[in-house]
Amino acid sequence: MGSAHSMPEEIQELADKTGFTLEQIEHLHRRFKQISGDQRTIRKESFDRIPDLEFNPIRSKIVRAFFDKRNLRQASDGLAEEINFEDFLTIMSYFRPMEMNMDEEQLDHFRKEKLKFLFHMYDSDNDGKITLQEYRKVVEELLSRNPHLEKESARSIADGAMMEAASICVGQMEPDQVYEGITFEDFLKMWQGIDIDTKMHVRFLNMEPIAHCH
Amino acid sequence: MFLLLPFDSLVVNLLGISLTVLFTLLLVFIIVPAIFGVSFGIRRIYMKTLLKIFRWATLRIERGAKEKNHPLYKPYVNGIIAKEPTSLEEEIKEIRRSGSSKALDTPEFELSDIFYFCRKGIETIMDDEVTKRFSAEELESWNLLSRTNYNFQYISLRLTVLWGLGVLIRYCFLLPLRIALAFTGISLLVVGTTVVGYLPNGRWKEFLSKHVHLMCYRICVRALTAIITYHDQENRPQNGGICVANHTSPIDVIILASDGYYAMVGQIHGGLMGVIQRAVVKACPHVWFERSEVKDRHLVAKRLTEHVQDKSKLPILIFPEGTCINNTSVMMFKKGSFEIGATVYPVAIKYDPQFGDAFWNSSKYGMVTYLLRMMTSWAIVCSVWYLPPMTRQPEEDAVQFANRVKSAIARQGGLVDLLWDGGLKREKVKDTFKEEQQKLYSKTIVGNHEDRSRS
Repeated sequence: MGSAHSMPEEIQELADKTGFTLEQIEHLHRRFKQISGDQRTIRKESFDRIPDLEFNPIRSKIVRAFFDKRNLRQASDGLAEEINFEDFLTIMSYFRPMEMNMDEEQLDHFRKEKLKFLFHMYDSDNDGKITLQEYRKVVEELLSRNPHLEKESARSIADGAMMEAASICVGQMEPDQVYEGITFEDFLKMWQGIDIDTKMHVRFLNMEPIAHCH
Repeated sequence: MFLLLPFDSLVVNLLGISLTVLFTLLLVFIIVPAIFGVSFGIRRIYMKTLLKIFRWATLRIERGAKEKNHPLYKPYVNGIIAKEPTSLEEEIKEIRRSGSSKALDTPEFELSDIFYFCRKGIETIMDDEVTKRFSAEELESWNLLSRTNYNFQYISLRLTVLWGLGVLIRYCFLLPLRIALAFTGISLLVVGTTVVGYLPNGRWKEFLSKHVHLMCYRICVRALTAIITYHDQENRPQNGGICVANHTSPIDVIILASDGYYAMVGQIHGGLMGVIQRAVVKACPHVWFERSEVKDRHLVAKRLTEHVQDKSKLPILIFPEGTCINNTSVMMFKKGSFEIGATVYPVAIKYDPQFGDAFWNSSKYGMVTYLLRMMTSWAIVCSVWYLPPMTRQPEEDAVQFANRVKSAIARQGGLVDLLWDGGLKREKVKDTFKEEQQKLYSKTIVGNHEDRSRS
């Protein structure tokens, strides 16, 4: 008759660091074990166990985001080989819903964190800006499986969108001015009026305790 | 040394007497009823007593938790996150609407489009429909088996004693009894069918074969302490038909075959299974394939069709899911058996996990471990529904027919009807499925790309 909680203090620490509740952590831990096949770490291949994920056109970017050291809040950059449960929770915490009791500053910080996660998804070479190449790659991936769409069309769509972005960030450009790429500040500027909070979070269902009535 | 002798013989005598008594009891209460297909109702009384004990145990646990002031959590069957049922188009429109002031019908790519896919991806990583079906169903109350104790830590001394008593009963009393019965059942099957096989073909042979099969399967059913409730027995499969059922474990075969006389289909194995298979085919025509023949779909279909067209032959028993599912859902039926053109008799089997989880997780347990687990559970309780026969309509193809049968089985058994392939337990998603989502998104973006004027 083993007990489910092995080390309550560790779990409390995780809860404080990532902001999940104890019950949510327990559920996510079970999910982690399922994905990792009862190992202590996951690798990229472990995500192959999730059939539903195959549907997603940006699957490789999402999986990559889990191993991206910038998202894992580590000092270096590049990709990690494998991640443990704490790292898993760190990535998941980017998708926590905003809480009622957060003040302005916390909300702002939280929002920035979420946008940074997205920014890292686009900016694969980690030079701090999204170049035209990287933008094109994302669009191509999203539209890649459509057999009727040629690569040229995908490219022109990406170019059009990039021009759009440039005009928002820099305003009118001189004819020979070259737009380097979208930096994080520009990225933030583009999202200013938009409420991303409801779109970038995953809501946990209410887990009711068993009623103690007899 | 001489002092020990009389004492020795006393012990030996006592042992002899108790064994004889045990065997007589075994014979009278279990084997003879199995031969004649009657039941004394002992197993049902056993089941009711167990239920009372489980209820008491759960109450104690709740009381224990309440005293310590910790809330208990129900294992969550429907998943842990709220997945929104909005479609891709709606969501993307909404994101764009909240952002730019541009007209909505200009198909362009927006930076925000990635949100939708990102979120969906994370949602599936957190919790997905398919992988859940491949691990054992979680219970809501504890059934005194330590293997199902996931959430219950608040167990008092009394409960521990009860659990210990349970272990003693299950391992020291029930297990040897069950093994003895299983041994009897299997050996009778092998010997009986071989003997019957020597008889000349005719009515006698058929009659004896049927009864030998039924008798031995009934003994095996008692060996597992399986308490089965059959519903709608008037719809039982007839000759020349195909019986189709959902698959949870190898025990399904024993459960169905103890109530009806079927022709089995399968691959020839080695070892004990092989011996049984070879003996059984002497008495009545089962359809066994060599390992090499199984890959050849046409050959399989041909043999099955031949068998089905001969009206004197028995109904075939097939499990179209192809693999064991954990009995909370029904997965995709392989269309092979539905192409043959015979009448299909669907059967729904639903196990009650409270007494023993019958699901065979073949990646976790081998066959022998699985059987041991079955024999050390309290009982296997299940319900079998015989559904009215179905035939393929002229306007539907094999796949649609298979899905129709599947829905009927899922509805009757109270299981979730899933489109996913049971083969996903081991393989990856087929490429054709992957393209659907991408095509939909591209359509949203590109849309009227041809007549859109570019600047």
